Amino acid sequence: MLSEERRAHHEGALTEPASSRLVSPDIRDEFGLETIDMNMGPQHPAMHGLLRLILELDGETVVRCDPVMGYLHRCQEKIAENRMYPAVIPLTDRLDYFANMHNEHGYVLAVEDLLDVEIPPRAEYIRVLMCELMRLASHIPSIGFLMLELGAFTPILYAFRERERIQAIFEAVTGARMMFHYIRIGGVKADLPPDIPQKIWDYIESLEAHFQRDFVDLIAGNEIFISRTRNVGKMTQEQAVEMGVTGPALRCTGVDFDIRRDYPYSVYPELEFDVITDTAGDVEASYRVRIAECLQSIRLIKQCLEKMPEGEVMGDLGRRLRPEEGHGFGRVESPRGEYAVHIVSDGSDTPYRVHYRDPSFCNMQLLQEIVPGHYLPDIMPIMGLVDPVSGGWDK
Amino acid sequence: MAVSLPEGDLQTRLQRYLDGLSNRHGLQESEILDDVVQVVASPGDVPAVLTTARETLGIPHLSFITVVDRQGSFELTYELIDFRGATVRVMTTIEGDEPVIGTVTNVYPTANWHEREAYDMFGVAFAGHPDLRRTYMWQDHFDHHPLLKSFEISTKRTFEGLR
Repeated sequence: MLSEERRAHHEGALTEPASSRLVSPDIRDEFGLETIDMNMGPQHPAMHGLLRLILELDGETVVRCDPVMGYLHRCQEKIAENRMYPAVIPLTDRLDYFANMHNEHGYVLAVEDLLDVEIPPRAEYIRVLMCELMRLASHIPSIGFLMLELGAFTPILYAFRERERIQAIFEAVTGARMMFHYIRIGGVKADLPPDIPQKIWDYIESLEAHFQRDFVDLIAGNEIFISRTRNVGKMTQEQAVEMGVTGPALRCTGVDFDIRRDYPYSVYPELEFDVITDTAGDVEASYRVRIAECLQSIRLIKQCLEKMPEGEVMGDLGRRLRPEEGHGFGRVESPRGEYAVHIVSDGSDTPYRVHYRDPSFCNMQLLQEIVPGHYLPDIMPIMGLVDPVSGGWDK
Repeated sequence: MAVSLPEGDLQTRLQRYLDGLSNRHGLQESEILDDVVQVVASPGDVPAVLTTARETLGIPHLSFITVVDRQGSFELTYELIDFRGATVRVMTTIEGDEPVIGTVTNVYPTANWHEREAYDMFGVAFAGHPDLRRTYMWQDHFDHHPLLKSFEISTKRTFEGLR
């Protein structure tokens, strides 16, 4: 733990905004200072997937940051237009590959909005159970990635140990470790195997027992962690809202918004959980928000297991889906924020248009806004704050 | 500095949004569907409608912009949410093969990348956009807009066989 003296040192340091490090162009011209352009990525060992950042550097200070996307673009929306409604679900798994269940859930909600089909309550509980497990399997590694980017190797090993255990549960339930194709239009693919509720319960208990030790005590008081993350990537609420940021990156500035509570879907209204916010709006605050959200997910999983009713897991659907002409909307809270799907139907068995609003894509606009003024090595912790996933922003 | 989020009962808020938009602008259609205020405006009015939504009614968040190619016209949907359960959906139709519409980046800065994406995928030109580059496709030597219905994918026949 930090001594009082060192804590005061960090609290006093870096209180001025990062933009105060920027030299005005006039002064630069007067003294003949030059900036250099540098590419970071798309093939960069520390980068989150295939992202290229065009950086303009003044010494070690970033003057301009311009993300370039498209290195993993598959035009998912076009492929979806040529497939039947149920056949799009496995494609959505490949969008944000750290939140596969949420992608499926959002798409399926949009189709069900068009169809007006009744979902059995057990299926709803299984969906929420799976989505919350997925949130754990995304938040915990994202904390690990953040620490890896700061040079700490142990947390990523602990994080992937947890992720592997959750993936083992997913494999037992869905048959796949990552690309599930489990949430279907009208319900879920299959009921939980009989021994799985007990296994999930045991796993969640064991995670709860060592969560504080492995992900809080190890990290939160560490002096290097604090000096690399406190006041780094600092943003105001206005900036975050203007840039369309959602999810933990928005909540760490103090905006109290969670789709699970404010635009309720599935059985979230029947479950108890808190929306976590923080006030600092920096990388450290986003870490604290993610940690607290993991504990809320554990709470939700326990409630799902306790309240889950018996019964069918698949609603009554015709063999061939032909929704009526119109618009269908689905919106879920993915680990990175608001994931929304808009489907336009023309009455045939393929969607006329599918649009995905992926939180990674929208949150990444923040980089242009908050990176200028920071030092080059601060970009990696800021990426940990935004936490984008390549498959998500590139669709 | 704190952002003030809308307060009050959902139904009153929906009614306030509907009245606020329909009193100030000549809308083609306006109605409340559950918790959504759905309005249809002419393309020339869209920037003004969104300015009212942001500045007078205080709706903070632009969720997404969807473009639909109707082969001869383009349908645009702007989805706004107020973070507290209400949604405002602004729809418009642009006639013709070369769609142009005013940008909303000055009221919703987040629209920047959404409009760039719409331009990249459909060729919708947003007049006044500060930086209208392609997001995904190549910047040069690529004249196509892949989500147009006229852009056929090479495996279309394969999919038809599967149906």
